[in-house]
Amino acid sequence: MSKKPSSLRRNRIAANTAVYVLLTVMSIVWLVPFFCILMQSFRCESTWMVGYILPQKWGLDNYIYLFTHKVSENNALPDFVQWYLNTLIVALANAVCQTIMVTLMSYGLSRLRFKGRKLLMNAMLVLGMFPGFLSMIILYYILKSLGLTQSGAVPGLILVYAASSGMGYYVFKGFLDTIPKSLDEAARCDGATRFQVLYKVILPLSKPIVIYTVLTAFMAPWADYIFASYIAFGTSSGYNVAVGLYSWLTKDMINNNFTAFCAGGVCIAVPITILFMCLQKYYVEGVTGGAVKG
Amino acid sequence: MATVKLTNVKKVYDKHVVAVQDFNLEIADKEFVVFVGPSGCGKSTTLRMIAGLEDISEGTVEIDGTVVNDLEPRDRDIAMVFQNYALYPHLTVFENMAFALRLKKMPNDVVYQKVTEAAEILGITQYLTRKPRALSGGQRQRVAIGRAMVRDAKVFLMDEPLSNLDAKLRNQMRAEIILLRQKINSTFIYVTHDQTEAMTLGDRIVIMKDGFIQQVGTPTEVFDTPLNLFVAEFIGAPKMNILKTKLTKEGGKYYVNPFGVKIPVDGEKGELLAQKNCGEREVTLGVRPEHIVLAKDGTGIPCTLEVNEMMGSELHLHVYTEDGTRIIVRVPTLDLTHEERAALVAGAKVNITFEGKVMHFFDPETEKNLLY
Amino acid sequence: MANKMSDLEYLKLNKFQRMLHNLVSFILSIPSRLVKLGKTIWGAIKAFCLAVANEAKDILLTFVHGDWKTKLSFLVMGFGNLARGQILRGLLFLLFEVVFIVYMVLYGGYWIGKLSLTGLTATTTQMVTVETGTNIPGMSSTTTVEQTVYGDNTLQILIYGTLSLAFVLCFLYTWRVNVKQAKLAQEYKQYGRRLKKGSEDMKDLLDRQFYKTVLALPVLGITLFTVMPIVMMIMVAFTNYDYNHTPPQNLFAWVGLDNFNQLFTWGNGSSTFSATFGELLCWTLIWAFFATFTNYFLGMLIAMMINKKGIKFKKMWRGILVLTIAIPQFISLLYVSKMFADNGLINQFLQNHGIIDLLHQWGWLSESYTAIPFWTDPTLAKIMVILINIWIGVPYLMLITTGVLMNIPADLYESARIDGANAFQQYYKITLPYMLFVTGPYLLTSFTGNMNNFNVIYLLTGGAPYTLSNSAGKTDLLITWLYRLTVTNNDYKTAAVIGIMVFVVVACISLVVYNLMPSMKNEEDFQ
Repeated sequence: MSKKPSSLRRNRIAANTAVYVLLTVMSIVWLVPFFCILMQSFRCESTWMVGYILPQKWGLDNYIYLFTHKVSENNALPDFVQWYLNTLIVALANAVCQTIMVTLMSYGLSRLRFKGRKLLMNAMLVLGMFPGFLSMIILYYILKSLGLTQSGAVPGLILVYAASSGMGYYVFKGFLDTIPKSLDEAARCDGATRFQVLYKVILPLSKPIVIYTVLTAFMAPWADYIFASYIAFGTSSGYNVAVGLYSWLTKDMINNNFTAFCAGGVCIAVPITILFMCLQKYYVEGVTGGAVKG
Repeated sequence: MATVKLTNVKKVYDKHVVAVQDFNLEIADKEFVVFVGPSGCGKSTTLRMIAGLEDISEGTVEIDGTVVNDLEPRDRDIAMVFQNYALYPHLTVFENMAFALRLKKMPNDVVYQKVTEAAEILGITQYLTRKPRALSGGQRQRVAIGRAMVRDAKVFLMDEPLSNLDAKLRNQMRAEIILLRQKINSTFIYVTHDQTEAMTLGDRIVIMKDGFIQQVGTPTEVFDTPLNLFVAEFIGAPKMNILKTKLTKEGGKYYVNPFGVKIPVDGEKGELLAQKNCGEREVTLGVRPEHIVLAKDGTGIPCTLEVNEMMGSELHLHVYTEDGTRIIVRVPTLDLTHEERAALVAGAKVNITFEGKVMHFFDPETEKNLLY
Repeated sequence: MANKMSDLEYLKLNKFQRMLHNLVSFILSIPSRLVKLGKTIWGAIKAFCLAVANEAKDILLTFVHGDWKTKLSFLVMGFGNLARGQILRGLLFLLFEVVFIVYMVLYGGYWIGKLSLTGLTATTTQMVTVETGTNIPGMSSTTTVEQTVYGDNTLQILIYGTLSLAFVLCFLYTWRVNVKQAKLAQEYKQYGRRLKKGSEDMKDLLDRQFYKTVLALPVLGITLFTVMPIVMMIMVAFTNYDYNHTPPQNLFAWVGLDNFNQLFTWGNGSSTFSATFGELLCWTLIWAFFATFTNYFLGMLIAMMINKKGIKFKKMWRGILVLTIAIPQFISLLYVSKMFADNGLINQFLQNHGIIDLLHQWGWLSESYTAIPFWTDPTLAKIMVILINIWIGVPYLMLITTGVLMNIPADLYESARIDGANAFQQYYKITLPYMLFVTGPYLLTSFTGNMNNFNVIYLLTGGAPYTLSNSAGKTDLLITWLYRLTVTNNDYKTAAVIGIMVFVVVACISLVVYNLMPSMKNEEDFQ
């Protein structure tokens, strides 16, 4: 009788130890590449890829390179700074535009009832099945005729992101669907128009999901390679960080720029990660609440 | 200061699901009308059509003589209390109650005065600075009512406001609504599925089933003269006993013969039958449990006791007759001696009987009351 | 026969018989399900035709029953509203009509006329003899100059022509609304009901018609920047727009179904377009399957480990994983890609420490390789891509599954434990079915999303090794192939065809999963 609980406990301790070991291994696997990037960014003895992690000569050379290096003297800003600014502008603008568009779209589809609502939602579903950049060639041509490519890529990107952002309404709508409809009805009986319902009742209640939307909208442009590279094709001043840093890793560039790439990566990742960690709560809420409901 | 009139109102969902039809009702100024019926009977839909939250498929709704079919809720001057309270979670109790007034851009001091006044009446003054989530269910319900009160609306709509509360609180709030009603001079429309609430609150009761009105009347009317079997069974607790039997006529007097026991239909009911010139026929006989008495002299219908529920002031006896029909009898505890009560255990033989004046007669086919 | 078994009889079967029964009845139900699907589609078509017919009938009846004001508004849009005092609505209709007519006369007709893409002239450079004045009076000399003669640009025609056609459709719709409005206004007047004033219409846009206000901007944006380009790209699939036909110097023309034909021509060996397409489609599906389910199950496993009772520092473990979501994917992916390159961190490390030589000795690595061919060996590259995708995707899945796991009612586990289920049985009987039920739709979207997962493949391998024909690589997904065909090869027509095929595949999978999977419906017990 007295032996049983102790063996039970021993089993539990064994199981927990195993879990701790697994979690530790997992954490290492997940963090090592980032640790490597960080270390490489401080490496001064060479700029190409090497077979060891810790630098032999530490220094800030790579960072200095980032903030001074210009491909051509005509450029107003160092390349990396230019790319960084481009992306930052796009990201900020996108955070605003996309949030507005997504909010409008989700409110319309979640809270308002009108003829053709189902049709519209089904159409969005079907549209989403087309590969995204099927339309790229055409968009490029249209943007080019508006002068929004190459060096004008920044406003072009903002326009395209904003215009098509209404399609990403699922998470936001999923959240809105959980707010009881009787709140709208009560407000309408209290004398609110549907517009007042939106900004007096629904928006204050949607704070977590609005923050989630702003956060994801802000982060997305930093990682967009495919469309940004097509629009800014060949013009360094129109690159975003993804396109710019990718160009440093091509065969003939990599040996001069690998460590600079790592430093650039650190410069991008650190502020975003800090921002992300501050708003993590909302992100988790959005992902777990909205993403699954679809 | 408002009458409400519904004319031939009909509601159809998705082109073929009929929720409400042939709804005709005139509600007088300051009247308290209760819509009652089982879930899905269309009572809430009707209320929501009056509020303007649902489109009206056919017919018209008038408030104070104006057709409001095309008006938005905010233009109808109505206040509504919801079942789940629908308090704005991000606003304090004060701001919740002031919401409508703020939308009307009322000056702050008027808002303050109105809200505090209503809070005083409802006894929620000390919670005004709290958020709804810090309140108990009963307190939330008070805030919801307060939010409607400050409006001075023409019509006061309440959609099952008490059904989220526990039984004790529900009784208490029910009494408060009665008091409240005397303080607010307004027309009330109240929706509930609970017949007790309907009977205690309403000046008039509208009993609904499957989208149709079954009967409209004062509590006394619907209790004493139910127009059909549904109303008879729905109003009153425990519900009315239904017996299949035959109406016979001997020498100008009517008799019913449940389970072979001949009971005369005397008094008012007998006269009414005679007036209607009713012949011998099959009838569905309805007798309320409180109208059945235990026949101590051995006459009446012999039954076997199945369950004895002791409710305190009364006993609910579930008995079954020789052919297995189940009947509920409600006996005041004080009517029985201690020994008699001790004898009422499962399996005990009892005889029951009832008088003619308490009987209700329904047509077995149409389920309509034969007398009214 | 299996179909007719009653529920009670089913309960008598043992586990194997039940599985057999389910399988048989599922297979037997496929025809009826397909029939049902067909009926749904047919019903939709019929409903559409009926709706069109009804509209036509209504327009006709409006004309027959309309007074002169209504009749005139068939020609002059908005007249019915204007004549009955609805100035704002009437003016808007009229303005739209004027704009439409002006546009059509000035531009629209021109572009639509050229949409046939025949009888066009390309832009050419010609040698032109130009007279140049000289200093000597009475004498003039001539020189030959290169001059560009601007002709048509078929891409431009395609774009503006399609836009103009869309504008025509838009006009037709507005015209229909105009007729309806005229009819309504007439009826309102007849029955003595008040018509809405312009100011009330404006107010309605914030209330009753608020959906128009809210959706106008997003829907317009989506129409112009997503729908229209897709429509145009679908049209490109029916042209010969490629490297040899790049306007304005070389015009492209309609070629009908030629591009699709080459997709379905088999038999010319493995180098044909259809063979490449088939191989890439297979890999895309395999990739999507593994990418979805490895992430899903590993994410769930890690979430369960972190959530396990008695595990401390839950926030820290979760935080480490979440941290990796924050870092833009292109940084981590590009870095990892270089890490495993032939001269990358891993291989250099292995070379420096003689492990490569060891592998050579053991015969695990062919002598011809000086490094482990992470990205150059097709099979290894595919495995690597899937592994690294786990590294990228698991944190996200961990978050999602944590949310769902926490929602599983604890009493389910308690009652299972009281019924004597061990940890594995609890997982198998409660956690997994619950998870699959709740995340079913998510799995589907994530599967289709992975089919189009450009970033991971492009940034890791770029599709390499390029051993297939039509410039496709072994790890290419259809989508990255499409990208390369567009950007590098300028083979737009093929890209368009592939894009359409991707859509067809995704649509089919979604349709099948939604309609045929029994598990999507049977497990509603959990709700």
